[in-house]
This record gives sequence, C-alpha cells and structure tokens, in this order.
Amino acid sequence: MITAGVDLGTQSVKVVILKDGSVVGRGKAFSGFDPAKAAEQAMDEALMTANLSLSDLSHVTATGASMALAPKADSTVSMMGADAKAGIFLFPKARTIIDIGAEEARAVKCDDRGVMVEFVVNERCAAGAGAFIEAMARALEVKLEEMGPLSLKAERASPINASCVIFGESDVVTLIHRQESKPEIARAVFDAMADRISSMVHRLGVNPDVVLLGGVAKDVGFVASLKRKLGIDILIPEFPEFAGALGAALTAASKAERSQK
Amino acid sequence: MKSQQKKYMIEISQKEIEELRNSVKATSRKVMAENIARMKKTSKNRPKAMEYFDEVADLFGKREKEIQAAKESGKKVIGYMCLFAPIEMILAADAIPVRVNSGWYDTSKLGDRIVPVEVCPVIRSTIGAKMIGLSPYLELSDALISVLTCDGMTKLGEILSDYKPVWAMPIPRVKDSPQSLRFWRDGLLTVKGQIEALTGNKITRKKLKSAIEKTQRATKAFRRLQDLRKGNPVIMGRDAMLVNQTYMWDDITRWTEKTEALCDELEEKVRRKEWACSLDAPRVMVTGTPMIWPDNWKLPTLVEEGKPQGVLVADELCSSERLLYDPVGVDEWTMDDMLDAIGERYLMASTCPCFTSKDGNVDRINWILNKIKEWNVQGVIYYVVRGCMSYAMEYTRIKKVLDGINIPVYYLDTEYTREDVGQMKTRVEAFLEMLTARIDI
Repeated sequence: MITAGVDLGTQSVKVVILKDGSVVGRGKAFSGFDPAKAAEQAMDEALMTANLSLSDLSHVTATGASMALAPKADSTVSMMGADAKAGIFLFPKARTIIDIGAEEARAVKCDDRGVMVEFVVNERCAAGAGAFIEAMARALEVKLEEMGPLSLKAERASPINASCVIFGESDVVTLIHRQESKPEIARAVFDAMADRISSMVHRLGVNPDVVLLGGVAKDVGFVASLKRKLGIDILIPEFPEFAGALGAALTAASKAERSQK
Repeated sequence: MKSQQKKYMIEISQKEIEELRNSVKATSRKVMAENIARMKKTSKNRPKAMEYFDEVADLFGKREKEIQAAKESGKKVIGYMCLFAPIEMILAADAIPVRVNSGWYDTSKLGDRIVPVEVCPVIRSTIGAKMIGLSPYLELSDALISVLTCDGMTKLGEILSDYKPVWAMPIPRVKDSPQSLRFWRDGLLTVKGQIEALTGNKITRKKLKSAIEKTQRATKAFRRLQDLRKGNPVIMGRDAMLVNQTYMWDDITRWTEKTEALCDELEEKVRRKEWACSLDAPRVMVTGTPMIWPDNWKLPTLVEEGKPQGVLVADELCSSERLLYDPVGVDEWTMDDMLDAIGERYLMASTCPCFTSKDGNVDRINWILNKIKEWNVQGVIYYVVRGCMSYAMEYTRIKKVLDGINIPVYYLDTEYTREDVGQMKTRVEAFLEMLTARIDI
C-alpha cells in the first residue's frame, strides 16, 4: 500500500511517501505566501523521487500549522499525533518525543503501547524554536548553519534570557557590547533555548527514550546544549525535519488499512 | 464646567468615545449573531426553547430596554463583578441585579491605556467597556458591588469608582475558620445597609424570604439542566453555557420559567433518544478563568466544532455552572438564619482559587472530581487567560490529582484576542484526538 503525508509547516512544506512501511520518497518546498502551491511542489518532488504518480496514493494525510490549506488531503492529523506516530515508528522504545520546528516546540509523552497520553507546546512565543536561532544568527552576523559548530568552540557559558525573541536579541546585543566572543554568545543562545525546552519537557516527566524531531534537531549546537541540560542521551533520526510528514504518512496508512477492512 | 478630577481614567474626547463605541458595538452584534448561528448549526435537534435564550443573549436588545424602563419607573440597578454579591438582598430591596464583567475582546485593548497588558484581560476589558460606555448593564447600574477576590477585581472596583458609587466587599481568604464566616457576615450587613440606603427600601424578613425562595427556584431549574447533561448529550455545552450566562442579566423569575421549559423539552428528547451530537464525541469539562459572552466563546466553539468533535458536559466556571449550583439553605426563616444561610452559600460553597484553607483549595478539587465521576468526563481543559495568577498557580496541584485518576488534562492559556484561534485549534484538536484514541483502545 502506498500513502503520503504532507506537513505544512510555518516555514516549509515536507512530503513523505510511504510504501509498505518504508519511506520511498521525500520532497520539500518553502511555504512562502502560498502554502498550497508549496505543498503541490513538495508532493511532485516526492512522487518523482519515488517514481510514482498521484493516482498511486491510496490515502493522503495532512498535518502542520497550515494543514487546512493542503490540496487533495483525505484526512488530517494533529502535529502532536504525527510526532507520536513518527517517533514510535523510528524508535519503538521512545516515550518522550520532542519536535522543534521554526516557530513551535512541542513535546509528546507516549505510553508503553506507543499511544500519545499527554503533550505540551511552547507558550505562544518563538523563543524556544528555530526562529530564535535565526534571529540570533542575524545579530551575530553568522550563517544559520554556522551557529552550531561555532557554539561548540565556546569555553564557558554566558547566560541570556530566552523568554522572548525580541528580549533575547537585546540580551545578545549586551553580550556583544561586553565583547564576549561569538562562540560563547552562540552557546548562550542554545543554552537559553535548551533551558526553555527542558522545563517544558520536565512538565511531562523525562521518560527515556527521548527522541528529538524537527528541523532544529539538525543543529549540533542545540543538541549539545539540550543533552547537557537533560543529562541523558537523545535519539535523533536521519531526517528529523521530515518526521511530521512521516507521522502523517503513517496515519494515512492506518486509515487506508482500516477502510479496506 | 470642568469635570471632576478622575483617579485613574484618562480624558477621551466625546467624539472618540462615540466612534469607538459604535465600531465595537457593530463588531459585537456581528459576533453575537455569528456565535448563535454556529451554535444552531452544530447542534443536531437543537431545542426550540433555546430561542428565548438566543434573544436574551443580545446584550443590546430587549433586556436592556426592559431594565431601562424599570429604571424610569423608579427601580434601582445594582451591578456586581464577582458572584459573591448577595443577589437575594438586591432582589429583596426590589432592585435589579446584573453582572457587569466584560467579555469583549476589543475593549481590552482600550483598557491597556489605563493598566499594563500583564493585567488579566477580564479586568482590562471591563475598564475599556466603561471608557466608551459600551456595556448597557454597567451603564445602567446605580451602584456596583465590588467583591475583593483576586487582585484584578480589587483594583477594578477602585477604577470604576471614577464613575459610580462602588461598595467594596472584603472577603476572608481562609474559609475554614469561625472568624471568617463572622467577618463575611459583617460585610453582608454593611452591604445590606448600602442597598437599603440606595433603594430606599428596607430589606424585611418577609421580603428576604421571598427573594431567597426566588433564587432557590432558579437553582432548582439550574440543577435540573446540569443534571440532564450527565447522560448522553441531549444539549450541546455551548447552549447550556449560554443559558447559564443569561442568568447574570435576565429577570430571574422569567429565566427560571424558561429554563424549566427547556428542561421539559430536553427530557422529551431523552425519551425519544434525540441526541445533540454523536455519542462518540469525547466528553470534555472546562475549568479555570471565567469565560464571558459574547466574544470569549472561542474555546467552547473550538471544542464543539473540532475535528474530532467534542462535547462540553460540565464546567467549573464562575461564569457558568458555579453561578447557581448551590442553593441558599435556610433552617428557620428568621432574619439571622437567613443571613447565615446567604453567607454560607456564597462563601463556603465557592471553589474560587482566591481562597485557601488548611488543605488548600480542596473544595475546587472535590467539585472537579465529582463532575468527572457523575458527568462521565473523559478529559479536562484547564483554561487560563494571561494574568490570571491564582488559576494559573493551582494548575500543578489539579494536574497531580487528575493524573492520579488517569484523566487527561490540558493547560490552555490565551488572551482576549481573536488572533490566536489558529494555534488554539491545533492544541484543542490534538487533545480531542488524544481522547478519541484513548476511547478507541
């Protein structure tokens, strides 16, 4: 059976094609001003890599902030539901699944059957999410991808406030004026973010295995900070930014199966 | 002539006041109509008796004119902010009680001119409504009873005293001590004197007895409605919430009759097995900050129009089920006993987080647990607006209790704004999805 998951995120749209339990295609496009169009582009790319066409799909499930805009979706699943599905699929022993995207951070708790039993979301503020790293990279005049490696060179940590992107940025300016080095400021940014994420996760209880999904999982600097903060190892899949789409594709597969019965 | 110096309020030109009032009023009319249209659409087999409540829910409609006319014939109107105000005394003095807290989103932005945005939006919005003279019931009030519950309510009374006589009623913050009840009873006596002075009517034993009997009948109808929500959903939660809320401004005798009529119709529907929604819809309860008509209707709307659809079967809100659930229980119809009974009904029965006791706010926990058990609640949404400290702080304890009985609870924080509905939808629907998944297993 072939199904697809479409994750219409705030910054990019991701598509995953699933065939009999394995991923056969991925596609990605910037959401921009027209998420529906971006979704079509990402779908075309995913279908092309999988060497399939739209008519081969038995069910399409959408997720993500703009899921309502998904063209041709047969059903939808919440972002938290998709996280839980993908986390358990990738790491069957996962009990705590963290997903950090461009503008939202979430943590989901699963029980022993892999069913979502609780979730938390960052409190309507981007300071615990990818947009924060982007804003701070701008303030430091470094590329987004350089932030992580740069932070690993820091010798010590300087604290900043990450209750809000705007205030965080003015804290960074203070550090610049104090002539702190860029690696230390970069580390301060990740530490502050990890602080927020960790208190969010602590509200659920830190139950291993802990899995990190979403685009921010690709940032080595943030991952190092979060591991330090939580004091345990964190599992990260190969394509963390496609996890939401994978979760949606898995949902699509179970829906298609159910309707066949 | 130079107007009297105001303590808090800033000067706004008459022109600006009128422009703002007209535009907020126009938006509000639209919101009320839309809310009701959506409620009609959501509810399969919506009771015909709801039409009365739809009409009385119009804040700029018949009820405003009715109170206006009563005022012209010499009646006094007494507004109140918290439900601790002794309605029975107001009725006994032949005055009209109305609750004046504001549910208008747009006026909270106006309140920002007087107090910082960190302040609870219910307070900011009520201030804003006064600034532009929006709320008919606040405008028609001859005096306000300001019960000093949370910090916001305490200062709100002070700010509104720029316009109206405000009677502050202090409450003891510990319930389980004999001094508390005495202190509270003294406060009741003071307010009784103030009501008598304003209205020129003496609150006699006979009049107080008949007022208590009036609210007892209302409580009976009110309880009958809530009890009907214990079984399969025969009424949507939003409809029941609207009925509950209209008690805050409607004529109490008429409200009681109409609620009884609604219950008759609902009982008939139960017999005919005509349900309001799918029996698979997860049964949700809301607890937290008061949720006030017309604008602050977004959470119940998201739950009952969600994908998957949920149904609100119970709540622990001082703007809804806590309004009238507890009757005034009188042993002997002496003045003393009646005052005791009123005192106990308002103080001891309250689950408001402004109280504490030896064991914290255990009354609230018991209320929630009872609702979960009797109303067969499957999940709880803990609703808090920014700046509502006491509700926000009690979450941790309530969650521990609910974790202990394996009932999912979700903490949802929001503001007086329409803009966060998208984000709230994501969360509410994920929660409903989770409840559905639990039910499936």
